[in-house]
Amino acid sequence: MSGTLHSSTTVGVEGRQATAPMKESCEHQAECLKRIQSILDGGATEEEKEHFKQHIDICKPCIDMYHLEKCIKEALQGKVEKKCCPDKIAAAIRSEITK
Amino acid sequence: MTTMPEIMSDTQLQGYTDEQKYQVFNKEFMPHIDSMYNFAFRLTMDEDDANDLVQDTYLKAFRFISSFEQGTNAKAWLFRILKNSFINDYRKKSKEPAKVDYQDVETTYNSDEASETEHTTDLRFETVQDMIGDEVASALNSLPVDFRTVIILCDIEGFTYEEMAKILDIPIGTVRSRLHRARNLLKDKLKEYAASMGYNKNDD
Ligand SMILES: [Zn+2]
Repeated sequence: MSGTLHSSTTVGVEGRQATAPMKESCEHQAECLKRIQSILDGGATEEEKEHFKQHIDICKPCIDMYHLEKCIKEALQGKVEKKCCPDKIAAAIRSEITK
Repeated sequence: MTTMPEIMSDTQLQGYTDEQKYQVFNKEFMPHIDSMYNFAFRLTMDEDDANDLVQDTYLKAFRFISSFEQGTNAKAWLFRILKNSFINDYRKKSKEPAKVDYQDVETTYNSDEASETEHTTDLRFETVQDMIGDEVASALNSLPVDFRTVIILCDIEGFTYEEMAKILDIPIGTVRSRLHRARNLLKDKLKEYAASMGYNKNDD
């Protein structure tokens, strides 16, 4: 998938054809970014979801922001090592509470 | 029983028998121990401190188990105790250099909407895709602890805004704006990192 978004101006997030001309600049970028984050976090309001649907296929900066935010979130989720609790700590806790 | 700041104050005390206490502890608390350890480690950045913090938290949780209602959100309840223990007991002696004052960062990232948008423009998602976990972790670790915390809770542990608000004792609006600022800062760090590693060259 890498590269496709940069060469095409008609493919939106879901890969469907957009009918309106693609916007090359976004006048509400800071607001859009907040909305995109809420969507990705699963915390968006209905209004935010609706606005996102209307906007995301026609605005190139927003499409780029969406992919970047999604990619960072996935990297944090999937790539950053999750440290496991040493067994001796779990054992120490169990023995401490049964004293 | 005295209340303590780590525990939700609005909960009714549960009348558990000793046997029920162990049951709740083993079934509802212990399964989260790896997540708790990971959180403790990312907060303290030190294995020994993380060990102590997790132990302290679990022992507190057991001591105050009557404040926990069986079947409610044990993970959020535990994370809240851990976060408060960290602030009260560990933050002062934390080995993290106090290089960035939280208020400064808050002010900087609050003040200028225009610079907020500029932050996002030239880090490409392909660059992030190419990075390995350790590089992303270094960028995360370099954030001031309050910003690091919201990213860990949201992106690594998958808590909802509402759960985060409870864990951190802040309104949901503050959760959102702190996350937003944390992510701008993280993108700056990723960009710096990418530049120093030779990623993100102009290849198109
Ligand atoms: Zn836009």
